[in-house]
Amino acid sequence: MNKILMLSLVTASTLFADSEIEELKKLVLDQQKTIQALQTRMNALEEQKRPQASHADVSSDEAVSEAPKKLAHSEKANKREKTEKVVANEYAAYDTANTTAVSSAQDDTMTESQDSSSSFDQSAFLPGIALVGNMSAVGRDVSNDLYANYAIPGFIHTPGELPFNEKRGFNLNYGELEIFSTVGPYIDFFSAFHIAKDGLEIGELYATTRTLPYGLRLKGGKFNSEFGRISMKHQHAWAFTTIPLVFEAFFGQEGLNDEGLQLQWVAPTDFYLMAGAELMQGSNENSFGDTDGINEVNAYLKSSFDLSDMTTLLGGVTYMQGKNGFGDTKIYGADLTIRTDFDSYSSLTWQNELLYREKPLENSIEADQAGLYSQLVYNYNQNWSGAVRYDTLFKNVSDEPEGLDKYSAMLMYRPFEFTKLRLQYSYDKSKYFAGEQKDVQEILLDLTFEAGAHGAHAF
Amino acid sequence: MKKISILFLLISASLFAKINVVTTYPYLAKVVHEVGGSAVHVTSLASPRMDPHFIVPKPSLIPKLSRADLLVINGAGLEIGWLPPLLKRAHNAAINPGSKGFADASKAVHLIDKPKTVSRAYGDVHPDGNPHFVMDPHNLIPIAKLIAGKLSRVDPANKGMYQRNLSAFLQKWRGFLKQFDGQMHACRGMKVVQYHELYNYLLKRYGIKSLATLEPLPGISPSSKHTIEVINIIKHNKVEKILQDPYHEKKTSRFIAGKTKTKVVVIPQDTGAVSGTNTLKSFYLTISGRLCH
Repeated sequence: MNKILMLSLVTASTLFADSEIEELKKLVLDQQKTIQALQTRMNALEEQKRPQASHADVSSDEAVSEAPKKLAHSEKANKREKTEKVVANEYAAYDTANTTAVSSAQDDTMTESQDSSSSFDQSAFLPGIALVGNMSAVGRDVSNDLYANYAIPGFIHTPGELPFNEKRGFNLNYGELEIFSTVGPYIDFFSAFHIAKDGLEIGELYATTRTLPYGLRLKGGKFNSEFGRISMKHQHAWAFTTIPLVFEAFFGQEGLNDEGLQLQWVAPTDFYLMAGAELMQGSNENSFGDTDGINEVNAYLKSSFDLSDMTTLLGGVTYMQGKNGFGDTKIYGADLTIRTDFDSYSSLTWQNELLYREKPLENSIEADQAGLYSQLVYNYNQNWSGAVRYDTLFKNVSDEPEGLDKYSAMLMYRPFEFTKLRLQYSYDKSKYFAGEQKDVQEILLDLTFEAGAHGAHAF
Repeated sequence: MKKISILFLLISASLFAKINVVTTYPYLAKVVHEVGGSAVHVTSLASPRMDPHFIVPKPSLIPKLSRADLLVINGAGLEIGWLPPLLKRAHNAAINPGSKGFADASKAVHLIDKPKTVSRAYGDVHPDGNPHFVMDPHNLIPIAKLIAGKLSRVDPANKGMYQRNLSAFLQKWRGFLKQFDGQMHACRGMKVVQYHELYNYLLKRYGIKSLATLEPLPGISPSSKHTIEVINIIKHNKVEKILQDPYHEKKTSRFIAGKTKTKVVVIPQDTGAVSGTNTLKSFYLTISGRLCH
């Protein structure tokens, strides 16, 4: 036991030899303790060792309370004294470790009992883990069978799988397991696994760089596109439980999520200016869908100004281009957010996003379509907030209906930071069932909880 | 447009001459200013008018971080809810946690109230201990030492000056502490209740007893049931004052004061949180004045 301890001290001291002074101080103190413990046990060697131990004592004491008495010295003397002290400290650490190692070599005591069960324990490296659960109770004036095959004319023929709030009655929508960690000096890692009834899906899994110069950051893996305001956020972080209509129509209910590479740059300006570019496979079938090669590119620019201490303006523009089998789909986007904070817990946010799409169809026809949403979110206090949203698809293919609207209102109660209960009502005029337009009314109670590592609040 | 860009260039050029230090909270900026003197340019991210746990992560804070040479945080979990995403978006390798341009003040002070078991069933607990150590002015000494050490690593050319500034500040501060300790001596043994466990460092050092918090659990808003309990505690123990922070609602404390003949005193949690507290000294003197006189 002693030998191992001494050996590790020696290695530790050589490893730390040119590290920070603070670390050295700690080391010296640690070693003092060890030496003191040894002193009581090794009576025979006590007399020999006392000088070294007390020497270490003095030097480390000085190191801890070094500052006060130096006023009188000149700058030069000060500097010299400090470097001398550093050297002395390093030497003391090295010296005491060495001498104790030597003295332990003269100790013949055998040691047996040793708890070595944690020798390869790596629990200190455990990544951050969070589990998000989302469930809902839904009332809707359309039967499940009919709802499973809704269409948004000109945009969606059938919705495919409905990821959230599929049935009337109770829905366990998903569990989301988030695991994230710093991988090394150069890379951070984030993953979000979406666990639904039909299995586990990799929602996001990517690495980001930590040390690129010039305000650059590179991300690679599978991720949500970070254009605009809502795309990068997961369902549980949206103000409403449902995605805005224009996002549903252009990208499906889960938004734009794909495998790819992203480069972001923060400009060295006094105001916030960020440019981002993403290369993606292009697997979003609502707008792109040709996945043979890298077939999609997204570019965006975001900027923000504080209009006052409490009011912030945030805006952005987006351009996307990707192959869809008939040619290149182009999407132009713009977003504008104004947020005013009244105090730490109360704020009003007005958020708007507009998307315009040129999508080539069969027989070289091009569909020009557009939609927007506008939402107002009022945080009354830490526990209560409310929101309203207007959604519209205001431009459509020539022989399809325009002015497909949806109105939503939401009341949220948060008994604690990591639990939210949302009551949402929506009146949806955009859905068609078996070729017939039908207004859909839906009332929904949604529970989200976030356990584990602390999720940060997004702006 | 051209003019604007030239302006920006000029501003950035003048900034580059000095070491750019960003602190999360205003009091840290005050300490950096004392130690860094003319060699540093320091800004703080959080407004002292806000709850330090819930700072709005405005995008305008990102460029400040992306140009910083040194970031000084309070630590002990106080920034966990707002700083990490900003830091991630700032793309500045120099101030990542673990790099030489990152300083965590909580690592320099002795933290109290470290929970034996950590569970969110106990509310919004801080696993490392109570992060509100700024309330005890004695803690500025180790923090100033840490900042001087970090500045010397980031800017070794001015190490001598940082050492001189540190010594001068510490001498001045030790003098002030004598004055402050004397003032606080007057309220030794006083009994108080507080809104959040915000003042424990101050209360512990000066022998003031805190018997309850208005929050039933950390981070949970006061409930009527718990408020009645607090009123009973106050009545049975002759509590004199209700310590209220400036940023939470004051309805509950006023209600309790009305029922119990205690006095509500608003104690600032940072420099600049209430008027007349813009310097470190005036901040602490406001505290001793409001608490003990």
